[in-house]
Formats: sequence, structure tokens, C-alpha cells
Amino acid sequence: MTKSKIEPFVNLNVNPCKMCMPMGAVTAFYGIKECISMLHGSQGCSTYIRRHMATHYNEPVDIASSSLTEQGTVYGGEKNLINGLKNLIELYHPKVIGVATTCLAETIGEDVTRIIEKFYRENKEYQGITIIPVNSPGYGGTQYEGYFGALRTILEFVPMNCEKNNKVNVITSILSPKDTRFLKRMFQSFGIDIILLPDLSSNLDGVFKKTYDRLPSGGTSIEEIKDMAGAKLTLEFMNLELESSPGKYLEEQFGVPYRRLNLPIGLRDTDAFIKTLSQISGNEIPGEIVEERGRYLDAMIDSHKYNAEGRAVIFGEPDFVCSTVRLCVENGIIPLVSATGTTKKQMKELIEQEIKEVYERFFIKDYEIIDDVDFKKIENLTEKLDANILIGNSDGRRIEENLQIPLVRRGFPIHDRVGGQRLIMLGYEGSLSYLDDITNAICSKKETTFRDTIYQTYFENAHINNLNIEIEEKTKKHPCFNGCASNSARIHLPVAPRCNIQCNYCVRKFDCPNESRPGVTTKVLTPEEAFEKYKIVKSKIDNLNVVGIAGPGDALANFEETKETLKLIRDYDKNITFCLSTNGLMLPKYANELCDLGVSHVTVTINAVDVKIGAKIYQYVHYNGLKFEGESAAAILLANQLSGLRILVGRGVICKVNIVTLKGINDKHIPDIVKKVKDIGCYITNIMPFIKVKGSKFENLEPVSNKEVNIIRKECADIMKQMYHCVQCRADAIGTLDQDKSIEFEIDKKNNIKQDLTETYRFAVASKSGVLVDQHFGQTLEFHIYDYKDGRVIYKEIREINNYCHGEEVCEEYEDKLEKLLHIMKDCNGIIAMRIGENLKNRLHDRGMKVIVTYDRIEEAVKYAVQSM
Amino acid sequence: MSVIREEVLDKYSAKVYKNRKEHVITVGEGNPDVVSANTRAIPGIITQRGCCFAGCKGVVLGPIKDAVIIVHGPIGCAFYTWGTRRHKAIADERKGEKADSYLEYCFSTDMQEADIVFGGEKKLKKAIIEAMDIIKPKAIFICSTCPVGLIGDDIHAVAKWAEEEYGIKCIGFSCEGYKGVSQSAGHHIANNQLIRHIIGTGDKEPVSKYSVNILGEYNIGGDGWEVEKLLKRCGIEVISIFTGGSSYRDIKNAHLADLNLVQCHRSINYVADMMYDKYGTDWLKINFIGIESCKESLRAIGEYFGDIELKARIEEVIADEIGNIFEELTYLKSKLKGKTAALYVGGSRSHHYQLLLKDFGIRTVLAGYEFAHRDDYEGRTVIPEIKPDADTKNIESITVEPDPKFYKVFLSEEQKNILKEKGILLNDYPGMIQDMDEGAIICDDLNHFETEEFLKVLKPDIFFSGIKDKFVIQKSGFLSRQLHSYDYSGPYAGFTGSVIFGNDLLMGLSTPAWSYIHAPWKSNPCLEARLEVEEYA
Repeated sequence: MTKSKIEPFVNLNVNPCKMCMPMGAVTAFYGIKECISMLHGSQGCSTYIRRHMATHYNEPVDIASSSLTEQGTVYGGEKNLINGLKNLIELYHPKVIGVATTCLAETIGEDVTRIIEKFYRENKEYQGITIIPVNSPGYGGTQYEGYFGALRTILEFVPMNCEKNNKVNVITSILSPKDTRFLKRMFQSFGIDIILLPDLSSNLDGVFKKTYDRLPSGGTSIEEIKDMAGAKLTLEFMNLELESSPGKYLEEQFGVPYRRLNLPIGLRDTDAFIKTLSQISGNEIPGEIVEERGRYLDAMIDSHKYNAEGRAVIFGEPDFVCSTVRLCVENGIIPLVSATGTTKKQMKELIEQEIKEVYERFFIKDYEIIDDVDFKKIENLTEKLDANILIGNSDGRRIEENLQIPLVRRGFPIHDRVGGQRLIMLGYEGSLSYLDDITNAICSKKETTFRDTIYQTYFENAHINNLNIEIEEKTKKHPCFNGCASNSARIHLPVAPRCNIQCNYCVRKFDCPNESRPGVTTKVLTPEEAFEKYKIVKSKIDNLNVVGIAGPGDALANFEETKETLKLIRDYDKNITFCLSTNGLMLPKYANELCDLGVSHVTVTINAVDVKIGAKIYQYVHYNGLKFEGESAAAILLANQLSGLRILVGRGVICKVNIVTLKGINDKHIPDIVKKVKDIGCYITNIMPFIKVKGSKFENLEPVSNKEVNIIRKECADIMKQMYHCVQCRADAIGTLDQDKSIEFEIDKKNNIKQDLTETYRFAVASKSGVLVDQHFGQTLEFHIYDYKDGRVIYKEIREINNYCHGEEVCEEYEDKLEKLLHIMKDCNGIIAMRIGENLKNRLHDRGMKVIVTYDRIEEAVKYAVQSM
Repeated sequence: MSVIREEVLDKYSAKVYKNRKEHVITVGEGNPDVVSANTRAIPGIITQRGCCFAGCKGVVLGPIKDAVIIVHGPIGCAFYTWGTRRHKAIADERKGEKADSYLEYCFSTDMQEADIVFGGEKKLKKAIIEAMDIIKPKAIFICSTCPVGLIGDDIHAVAKWAEEEYGIKCIGFSCEGYKGVSQSAGHHIANNQLIRHIIGTGDKEPVSKYSVNILGEYNIGGDGWEVEKLLKRCGIEVISIFTGGSSYRDIKNAHLADLNLVQCHRSINYVADMMYDKYGTDWLKINFIGIESCKESLRAIGEYFGDIELKARIEEVIADEIGNIFEELTYLKSKLKGKTAALYVGGSRSHHYQLLLKDFGIRTVLAGYEFAHRDDYEGRTVIPEIKPDADTKNIESITVEPDPKFYKVFLSEEQKNILKEKGILLNDYPGMIQDMDEGAIICDDLNHFETEEFLKVLKPDIFFSGIKDKFVIQKSGFLSRQLHSYDYSGPYAGFTGSVIFGNDLLMGLSTPAWSYIHAPWKSNPCLEARLEVEEYA
């Protein structure tokens, strides 16, 4: 069976958290002096109960049976009961016999009282023996009802002596023998003479003696019980008020004043107990007890730091549960589940207020107080509410084993440990022992798991293999990473116009095909414009959760812009998810800074992890001011991509790798790329089809079909998570945002753009295509002259020149050439070129000419230039 | 030696004395020795016996791991049979087929007063619906407790309904506690339903040349695993085990095995008998408790199959197993030799363990069964003599006809005779007495009172019984070992188990606590000097 499903068993009790009435009845009789009990029914009942009690108490448990057979069910059990009583008396010589009924006797309607009367009539010699009949059908309740029922019946049955005496009646719910001994000692130390019913202090926790006594010597004698009617007070130790309370019976019948006290467990209830003893006796509280209290209080403070982590499941008899809840609450342990198998609705009223207060203090939502429950339900709740400690009898051991949650054993039965009869809970010392056991269980669990827990929670999850929850959540919301699963919108801010590599499938006239769809030319924004755009879009679209920097060039080739944009937005919105896409060339340099900026998602386009293949894909890379081609270009790019990814993954960034499928070039190589990036720890790969671009080096390369791409994706899905394009998303979240011209328009209208932009500038632009700033300053043969006026970029004319540069070594000699150029461009405020030698740049600068180096569409470049003026 | 018996029974009234003296005998005094057994326990005497429900649900059905056993009745009976017996099982998966184990679970209809008054069938049905909705077992067993039979709930009709509704195996067991005189009635009821509803319904053929079922092995403390391991080492396939660590899906194939091996005769002999009648499967009373017994049992299996290669393999396995334990065994023997033991367990264990004790040179002075029949003491030859009484008659005894499809004869009469000449009895059990020394005492249905009295008189070094009398024995100053649950130890079966057993005894006898029993400030010795074994032997 699955261990943890929340399962609504109603008619099927799965793993009972209760026993039957006869169990309780015979336990009560074990506290009566020279008493043996006999169960009227099949012999299995007494055998089973003996077996369960003997295993708990490690003592002989003698319970006789009337051994009813099938014949008895037909003709009645009178003969068996009478013979049984006779045999029992002859062999064991009891002074008292408790005859408790069972399911069988009750179902066939045995009148035990009448049978006992008959027995006395027929056996006059046994009239001195008190035989007490108790009704305890197994279906009538649990051991809890059986126990109190038997006590009450004993009082009703024994002829009472109403003569006043100075004793105090003490009636308790089922306690361990050691706790009972404590209780007696306390009364003794205050000089209070008590009649304890029942006295379980010794019969079920015997001593090793020279000879074995068949009848245990302890217990309350019938003579003492008779005196209970004349006592000056009855103290009843139970948390619940019972209709059938034996103490109330004494009050109603004999006018013995009645007081109910909670079991003296925990500070408050022990205080109340000690105070009561002091009041009754008129004696001061002995110094020793005051010290015990101080010690318990001291321990409560010492262990609070562990206890505060306690999330407890408490189960057992109602009194046990109530008392344990109160002890836990006192010590800052949260009772998540308080459960009893007995049907007792009042339990909830008694403890709910206590529990609520703790809950409010600790901001915890759920707790459960339930009666009539089985262990299956308790186990489900334990798991659901994430408890870390179980408190109750040893039947909880299955949950302990299944869920690996420590069980503090108290109550009855304890079958898998020794010493159940010696466990203590009462008084300051008992409470201290109980609390220590609970605290130590919390500690032992912590001690054996905290290294792993801390490592996994704060180190491993956060940085290495697993994702921490925050990023995981962000990833779930991220449309670029989780496609359809996400309802979030994203915005791509085009603040990065320049690129530092040349892919053979790319023409820089268009947006970078590594990330965006080709064909849509995007307006390049300054960081400030981008921020304004973001704010406007955010105000319109609630679910805007992701800001991406994806081009139109490479985000890291424009790092200053990228950085500025992210900073502005981060200051404005702490929760936004940042993502960024790059070719990876500059990753090692900026990876840590990106993390510091709060970028949680990065996409790197890697088309090859083999330098030879890479050389076929990349025309050149510009790195550290130098241009590399062929294999050396591919090698630099690859090395930087991989080391950059390692840094990002190490810092917990979710990395996606885009791969462009190039038929005949890298299509067979793609699984190797996927394996490589999986080993590094990337989250997902996005294998994309190659789209032909006219004018690119690969314009004649045969494109791959979607079908072919999907075959590769499926193959790679065995290696790691794959991204499949989702039309719905594109049309919805991404599409709407990308094409929302009205928003862009609003920015202009609102005049949110810098004042400077309204001034007029003129620039000379080095361009070959006439669309892009794509020429080296020294190599261009013509300059395109553009004006900037009223926020608009206006083309003026082309001015031809002889190209300036023939190589570095000869530059110096052409001083006059520079003068010529300056003359041609004397009406310009600046020069815009893709590249320019550093030396020349300085000289132009010295001559008052602004030099702007960029790779962009001319319009954007001009606007950019204006920004930097 | 009747003196001892008289001393113990002396305190009984005339009526009880008359009853009990038939149950207590001294071996060798009768001609032949006759032990009254399987009669009603005496009320009030504090018998150690359990009830019919215990025998059915607790003993035979309980260990079947993949069946959900719903106890129909008030909560007590279900609670008391929850994990109390140490039958172990592993939920093994085979060929991707998931095998559930519900042994850690306890299912009850938890009948309340209203259910007793108005009937509990509806609740039982609903409980089954919930079990099917949530647990989805392949088999459900319904076990009745006392009130169910009295109020007339028809659990068999409900079982039939469940089979039709869900297409699963659902069987009712009318094992109300008051039936019969002990657990034994429950064994019989369980046996009947197993043969009627489960055995013969499977079709998984054995894959090996020789295959067996192990009957009456409940895998207490891992005994069943030890035995299965031994058989597998010899190349013998185990089709199913009744019922330790076993499953419904294995037991249904039991009829396809070549031979039945009977460990616990009492609890499962009905299945052995009926399988012989219905499928022609011979059964062999074996005993894997004790070193000599293991050897004999393995060799008898070899003889039955008559295969020279198999026999050679068995000899190899025996030699190897003995080799592994020899040194430890020799040491233990030297320490345990000459001790005396009393045993009071079950319907077969008291016999089996005497043989293991004999391996260590420990002599049995008292042995008794809780719920045996006369044949378990005297051998199956007495069965025709046993007159069925009212209690026996109340338990259904079924007769089966040869199965037209699966009945087959494995050995010819001639082959059987050859085996007989070699001392190998087929389909028979000679009982406990023949393995006991003259002068030893047999006590059937030993009760709490007699336990104390026998301890005083016989003073055995070790008393083997169960948890209910364990603490009386210990408080009387004797070593007690539980043979129902092995005191958390085991396995005790097989060669390896023998050594574990021996170590447990040595540990128990030499525990330092015994030496402190006599407090230094008391002058008279705590324990009276014990009788030497020879004095009454």
C-alpha cells in the first residue's frame, strides 16, 4: 500500500489507535489487593490481553477465562462461569475477583450478576470473597471507558462504610506503576492519608524475591474501598470530565466533596497539584519540592532552543493527549496533531485554545485535534503537516519507521522497548524526564541529519545541482524556459546593439538569430528609455515577470548598457526575473557581475563544442581588441562559453543553451553539445532550426525541417530537458509584447526621453550597406551623413573619401590625411564606426571630434551617439 | 515417576484432578502411552490456550502478505493480532509485478453497539469498498470474531458479492473465537478454505526438475528463509510456503509442486491430507529444527526423488553447512551438555525442539502442547481411535475428490515400499512420544498453575514457552526462552539457526544477573538445590 496518500477510510479501521473495554477493566482490577480478574467469554480474550500486558509490564499477568465454547453460546455460560470461579478460588485463593464480560457474553445476553448470586448461594464457603461483575463489551468503547467503568462499578458494588474519616480519596486515569508510586509519595510528604483507587504502584512492577507469589501483594484493599464513602474529599486526576466519573458517584451518593485536577504533568498542572496538597494539608511546600520546581524551570529554559523546533504528533488516551499537549505548549513545542482513538469530542474543547495561541505565535496554519481516529489517519496527517516528532505508545513505531520520525514512548502499550512500567511523567521530576526525552529525540534527529540538511538546503540546492526554491519558482514562471506552462509575460529590452562575433548564418542587418525571430527590426533603446518602457508595460500587464536583454546584438558586447538597464529596473522591482542571452564570448569576464545584478537565467548559444566544427560556423570573433578567425576564433569562443557557464551554474543561475541546427555542419554533433552542457549543469537546451538569411554566408545552406529538428530534440531529450517551441506562447505573451508599437509610441509622446534629444546633431557614419554601422573607420570609402533633429534621425548624404588606413605601420605618415578627413566632416558632431584604432580615436578626440564605436543599425547608432554626447 | 504427576495435581479438586490426570503422563508407563488432548480447557484454571480466531487469523492466514485481512468485529481482536507474531515477510517484486505486503497493517470493521444490534454486513461491505478504492489488493480475507456468528452476519455472502463486484479473490473465514477448544479449530477452518478457494487456481508451472511446498512453516524470526535457502542450495524449487513470508499468488500454484514437506503437522495437516486426496501430492513429515533433523529431512527428500545427482548435491550441501558451524557447535555442546529443559509450545514445536536440544546434549524432562490432538503425541495411527466430540463435530470436515485435471501419481506402490524399508514414512507422522526418553513427563494443555508446580518439582535449567508464562518462570529463578517469538532472535531453523539457538541458550544461562539473585545480606540461599536429572530419570 502506498504509504502517504490521504485516504478517507471511514468504515475500515486501519491500524487501530485503541484497545477494547475488557483491557481497561482488567487493568483497573490489577490495582485491587489480592484480586484476580476473569473474563467471561472465549479464552482468546484473556490470552490476548495477558500477552499484551505481559509484554508491556514484563510481569506475570494472570487473567482467567470462563473458556466459553460453542455449546456455551447456545445454552448460556452459567456453568462455565460458576466452575471457573470455583477453580480459580481453589487454585489461586484470591480475596477479590473481577468478572468482566466480553463481546461474546454481552451478545448472548449473560446476566453475570445473577450468576454470581447463584454461585454464592451454592458455595456458601466462598461468601467472603468479593466477586465484582463489570459490563465491558468490546464494542462498547475502548480501554479508557473499560477502566473508568470498572472503577465506578467497584464503588457501586462494594458495600460502603459511610462513617466519616480523615482520608482523601485519590482516583487516577491509567498511570505507570512508577508514576503511581510518585503520587503516593507526594501525598505522604504532605502528611495526607489517602485511599488510592486503583493502586497500580507495585502489582505490575514487581520485585525479584526469594519466592514467587502467585497473587501480587499490592493494591487497594476492599476495606479501604469501603472507607471511601466516609472520606473528607475525593481528588480525581483526569483532564476530561466524565459522566461516569467514580468521584462524582461518591459525591452524589455519599456527599464526599469532589475535586477534579488535571494530571500533574508540566509546570502549570504540577503547580496546581502541589498547591492543592498544601491547601488540603495546611502544610508548607517542602523546600525539596520547591527545588525540584526550580530545576524543571531551569531545564525548560535550557532546552527551549531545541524545543522550538518541535512539531509534535501526540496520540493515545484522552487524558494522556491533553496533558502532553499542555506540556508541549508550555515548552514551545507545537502540537500539530492531537489524536485519540477513543470517541471523546470534549477533548477538542479542552486543548484547542492552548494550541491556537501557539499557532498564532508561530504563524502556523494547520493543526488537527481528532478523536475516534486510527493510525492510518494519524500517519497521513503526520506527513501532510510535516511533523518531526511523535509522542505516544509503541504502536506509533510503524509511523516512526515509515516516515523516519522519532517516537517518544509513553503510555500503554510499550512493546518494542523495556521499561514501559517505569516511564514517568508526573510531577516536576517526571515532567522533566518526559521533556528531556522529547527534547533529546528532537536533538538526536537533528544530530544525525543536520550536516546533510544544512549542506543540501543552503549549499547544494542553492548553488550546484539542485535549484533553490526561489529560482525554481522563477524558472516555472519563465516563458523562455517553460513555454506553455507559464502564464507570465516577458519583455525583451533592446539595449544591446553591438555584436562581437560574426556567425555565418547572420546578417547584422537583422536581429540576432541566436535569440530573437529574424525579420523584426527592433528599435534600440537607451537604458533610461528601456526603463521607461518597462514601467509602462508593467503598468499595463500584471503578469510581466521577466525582463530579458537579448539584442539586437549581444548583451555582453554592450555590457555597460545592459548593466545600467538591469540596475534601474532592479531598484524599481525587487521580484522581477532577469534573463539575458549572449554568445558567451564575454561571459567569463562578466558572469559574476551578472549574478550580483540578480540575473537568474542566462541563455548561451553554442553551435559546436568541437573547434573544427566551430571554425566552419564562425567567421571571426573580436576579443580583447583583436580579431580572430578560423579555429582560433572558435577555440576562444568555446573556451569562454564553457567556463562562463560553469561560473553561472556554480552560482545557481539557470542556464539554457541554444543550438542552431546547421545541416551537414553540426547536425550530427548536436548530442555532443547537449552532453557537454548537461555535464556542466545547464538546465535545458533549445535546439533551433536554421533559417536562411539572404546575404549571409550560409544563404545557400539547405535548411532543416521542423521534423528533423524534432528528431534531434527527442534524441537529446534522453540526455537532458529539451525546449519545444510553443506557438501559443509566442502568439500570446511574447508576441504581444514585442509588437506593441503603441507602448513605444507612448514613450515618445510622453516626452519621457532626455531633453538633449531635442537638440540637433550631425554624424558621419562608416557604413558599407547603408543600413548598418558595419565598417572600420580606416577602411571605409564613404561616410553616410545623418542628422538628428527633434528626436528623429534623418539621412542627408554620402561623402566619398579615399580610404584612410593601409595598415598600422603606415598610419603615422598620413597625418595630412587625417586633416583631410576632418575637413570633410567639419560640420559633424561625431563619427560613428564599427571599429577604430585606439591611437586614431584619441587623436580625433583631441581635435574635438566625438568617436562612437558601435555595431548597429544606423538609426539606433545615431540615437545612441546623441545619448553619449 | 507418577509421583511427580501426583505432586503437581494434588491440589486440584476431585473433578479437576480426574480431568487433568488424563492429560499428564510419564513416558513409558502406559502400554501404549495415551495422552488425552484437544478437549475443553478447564474454566478459571488460567489456560495458556488461545481461541479459534487466533488459530485462523493469527496463525495460518496472518503471514499471507498480499491479502488484506479484514477482521470483522469489535476492535480488540484486530488490535491484539496486529504485529504480535514475528512472522516476517518481504514485499518482493518479480518481473515488474508489484507484490504488496500488508503485514504491517491491521484492518478492522471496528463494530460498535449499533452494528451488533442491527447487523454489521453493511459496514463490512462498505469497508471492502474502501479497501478496493484505496488499497486495491488481489485478495481479501474476512475473519469473523465472536459476536459476528452470534448476530448472524453472512460474511460468505459478502465475500461472494466482493468477488463478483471486483473480480478479486475474497474469502470468508467463520473463525469465531468460541469455536472448538483452542487455536486448533481455527487452523482447520483456515485449511478448509485454502483448499476450497485458493490451492489449484494458479497456473504457474515449476521451472525446476524438483519442486516442493513447505507446509506449516511460518517464518518466525526468518526460519522460513533459512529453510528455503537450504532447499534452493540443493536445487529444489519451493513453489509456496504455508504460510510464512508467503503470498496468495504463490499458494494458488501449490498443486503444481511435486511434493509437500510438512513442518508443523498440527496447523496444516488438513491441507497436506486433502492435497494428497485431490492432487495425489505425497507429503513428507520433515523437521528443519535441529542438526540431525535437518540432515535426515534433506536426505529423505533426496530419497523421495531418487535422483543420484540430487542426492549427491544434498550431501555436498550438508557437508558444507556442517563445516561452517562445526567449531562453534563443538564449543556450545561442551557448555550445554547435561542441562535439562521443559518445553510447552504449540502443536509441533515441543517435538521439534527436543531434537535440537538433543544435538546439544540437553535432555527434555517435560514437554507439552498447547492445542495438539492425540496424533501429535501418539502418531497418526491413533486417528481412527479418536472419537469425535461435540466440539470437534462443530468444525466442518471436508472431503475432496481427485481433481480430473491435476491429479497425478508420483510414486508407485512399489517405490513407496522401498522408501518405507529405508525408514521414510510418506503421508504419516509418528508423533512426539516416540522421540522422548522414558520417564520424561508429557503435559497437555499445561496451565499457569501447573507451570509453577512443575518448576518447583522438576527444576529444569531452561523452560521454553511463551510470553504469558515467561515472567512467572523468571521470577521463579529459571531461564525462560520464548519459542513462539524467539525473544527477538532467530532464525533457529537449519544448520545456521542451530548455532544461533545454542548461543542464545548459553547467553541466557550464563547471564551475570543469575549470580546476584542471592543478596549478600541474606544468610539462607535463595534457590534450593536443584534435583539432579538422574534422580528421576
